[in-house]
Amino acid sequence: MLKYLIKRVLWMIPLLIGISLISFFIMHLAPGDITNNEASFNPKTSEESRQKLRELYNLDKPVIVQYGLWLKRMTTLDFGNSFASHQKPVFWQTRDKDGNVTKGMIQEALPITLMINVLGLIITLTLAIPLGIIAARKYGFWQDKSITLFNFIGFSIPGFWLSLLLMYWLGVVNNWLPISGLHSINYDTFDTWGKVKDSLSHLFLPVIIPSITGLAGITLFVKNGMLDVFHQDYITTARAKGLSEHQVVYTHALRNALLPLITIVGLSIPGLIGGSVIAETIFAIPGMGKLFFDAVMMRDFPVIMGILTIGSALTLIGNLIADIAYAWADPRVRRGVMRD
Amino acid sequence: MKNLAFLINQFLKRNAKYRVIATCLVLSACGDSSQELSAQALSNLNKSYPSQSGGTLLDATIGEPSGLIYMVAGESAAGAISSNIFNKLLKYDKNLDLEGELVEGWQVSSDQKTITFKLKPNLKWSDGKPLTSADVLWTWQAVTDEKTRSPYASDFQLVKKAETPDALTFSVTYDQAYAPALDSWAGLQILPKHLLQGQDLHTTAFARKPVGSNYYKLDSWANGENIKLSRNPSSVLGQAKIDNLVTRIIPDSSAQFLELMADNIDSMGLDPIKYVRIIPARPELKQKLALYKELGNSYTYMGFNLKRKPYDDVRVRKAINYAIDKQEIIDGVYLGLGIDIASPYKPGTRWSNPDLKPYPYDPKKAKVLLKEAGFTDIDGDGVLERDGKPFSFEILTNQNKEREKSAVLIQRRLKNVGIQANVRAIEWASFISRFIKTGDFDVVILGWGLGLDPDQFNIWHSSQQAPGQFNFIGYNNPSIDKLLEQGRTELNPDKRQKIYHEFARVLLEDSPIVYLSAGYGLSAIHKRVKGIENPAPPAGVGWNTYDWYIPEPLRRPVSGRTEISAN
Repeated sequence: MLKYLIKRVLWMIPLLIGISLISFFIMHLAPGDITNNEASFNPKTSEESRQKLRELYNLDKPVIVQYGLWLKRMTTLDFGNSFASHQKPVFWQTRDKDGNVTKGMIQEALPITLMINVLGLIITLTLAIPLGIIAARKYGFWQDKSITLFNFIGFSIPGFWLSLLLMYWLGVVNNWLPISGLHSINYDTFDTWGKVKDSLSHLFLPVIIPSITGLAGITLFVKNGMLDVFHQDYITTARAKGLSEHQVVYTHALRNALLPLITIVGLSIPGLIGGSVIAETIFAIPGMGKLFFDAVMMRDFPVIMGILTIGSALTLIGNLIADIAYAWADPRVRRGVMRD
Repeated sequence: MKNLAFLINQFLKRNAKYRVIATCLVLSACGDSSQELSAQALSNLNKSYPSQSGGTLLDATIGEPSGLIYMVAGESAAGAISSNIFNKLLKYDKNLDLEGELVEGWQVSSDQKTITFKLKPNLKWSDGKPLTSADVLWTWQAVTDEKTRSPYASDFQLVKKAETPDALTFSVTYDQAYAPALDSWAGLQILPKHLLQGQDLHTTAFARKPVGSNYYKLDSWANGENIKLSRNPSSVLGQAKIDNLVTRIIPDSSAQFLELMADNIDSMGLDPIKYVRIIPARPELKQKLALYKELGNSYTYMGFNLKRKPYDDVRVRKAINYAIDKQEIIDGVYLGLGIDIASPYKPGTRWSNPDLKPYPYDPKKAKVLLKEAGFTDIDGDGVLERDGKPFSFEILTNQNKEREKSAVLIQRRLKNVGIQANVRAIEWASFISRFIKTGDFDVVILGWGLGLDPDQFNIWHSSQQAPGQFNFIGYNNPSIDKLLEQGRTELNPDKRQKIYHEFARVLLEDSPIVYLSAGYGLSAIHKRVKGIENPAPPAGVGWNTYDWYIPEPLRRPVSGRTEISAN
């Protein structure tokens, strides 16, 4: 097992280098760089100052040289500073000689996105598993059909549209919830309980809406997993030896049916980190999706590379954890890994 | 990455459209659930109140500033906030004439090469330290420093010598008289030397906790959420009325509008649909919001590649100018909230030549001119030909809703006179690097700012055609060159005015571009905010924000929570 783990971790290094190389070149295939964004198309600015900027950022060098410079910095885990955002560090905070701390862009954005998406995933799972079980047990009956209908309505409604409707209904008409942002303007003046309440009310819509739209997929997975398991011989055996339906479903079938869910959760890790541009824009949440989108639009290369690299690393780690979890949960897989 | 960016962008554009539709649906569907104000609240809102200080003004911005040192941050979001914190030597008054801000006055030497500024006495930074000519000198040194990456440095690099004979005097000498100099000193925000000396302007923590001298100082900055300013008690220009300015960062304009409806922000910029259709149709919004329009800061034009045939022929350019119905674009694209212009200056200001009239819509004249230029429809397919080649071109523009719509209207009008035009919209960075820089285009639709200084050397002078420079249409007219050179070295406003009136006349006659329209800047501000001049003077609605006030009875209720305290 340990040998397997070390092998997997070591494999990640060439993988990450490969990912970064491909990302770097694709990024440079896009025409333009930081010096020709829309704001710089202003007769008050001069081509000389843009050229100077290009030299300072090494953008005048061949792409392969730029990649070499980037890789060299990466050996010391230095993700560099943003071109566009006033030289803010891309990844982690830095401290200047006067003790002023400048926080990293990913450091600030990642926890927000992670919190929203993990909460969303938890809600999705707590709703999807019971719904999937019910749909499988009542397969073909009205319960199954109405769950399917509900899910596909949620799946088909565009998230931004639902967001705007709910923002209007809950925020403007009834004034029950805040409309956008993460905190109230006077958040600092609240006591602890007030702060918690304020944060939760701001998080409600951004968490609930992706959960509703994401419900369909997972419910279907659980339902199909259950249906598959119901046809297995050991379920027939369990029924034949006279176990109660409750025991058959929850002790024997469910445990087996939920195994593929580990893979699904593992696969959703890139999404947990990546965030959604549209949701973050509508709800004015300074998360990873918005950060990445803005960086691409501004051709802010260090930020793009930082997000892609950290995103890939976290994804690889997430996959590894998912595999380990799978091995832990499923003895068949575990034996296969041990033999490896 | 290009394709990815393109796809994302396309998707967002489409969504932006859907979002507008969605908002409209939402608005009409829920139209009956109105929250109209009570008669009492309404009459309170419309009463007049004496000017008083206090209160908080909440507004929203689409983009977060990257930092508050404007000379290196550069973007408008940074300028909007930093201009409340820092002062400049000069400023434009409500009629867009220059006046002193930090200075009492300025003198131009007889050879027009030296400008001497006299600072007001007893100026102070908000930390209590004196603001002197040394700070001004240091700011000039910083913006022109080799290591400073300022997009706006070029005007200041022309200064040959800068001196501070005493603490209140600052003088600059140029190699030759440079008229746009005054405008440049009305744009440079003066920074405190004692806090920034020896620091790297690009990485300094000062950019996120600045110390300035203007009406407001920074209170707090919550990353990606909001920026709070409070009144600077030692402001050099006196005291503003409103205690706190809070700018919330809300990237989506639909979300901004919902916040405005829910009374969580006091003001926002509007698009024509909200201004003309949505707000007037909803009583509860109409009751509490006041609508303002001001002359915009830019105009949209259609430019020709003058190095290519047949656009080198003035008759062809004029024909196209006559063939396009500008009023149709203003009505159709801007819902009437725009004007057609005849010179690249704000109408009503001194630089705009009042005798010039835009090209009228006259397809007959267009056809005559095209015939004179040798275009006839030989094969009868409705498209004109010359030398056997049909007259057809591609109108390129960036992905900008207004420009794309304008292009489609133009396409139809050109078809009527026998010109076949195709429209293509391209993502900004690709548009610039693949078409503009390489000069590989026939016709583009783009925009230019209606600058406050009349100098437009960079846009029209024949020497400014290298890749990356702004005369990318390849305009080369010796008489225009001469006027631009004269205008640059003439500091006397009246003589300068004559030069630029003539410049605009020649430009209109030569028609290197077709002026399409100048849209209005539109905004809605809650009626609780008083002291706003309406109709807006040439400098715009926000020219006197320091005099705006929020009467106590109209302030936002704070429902048991403490409002952010003023100093």
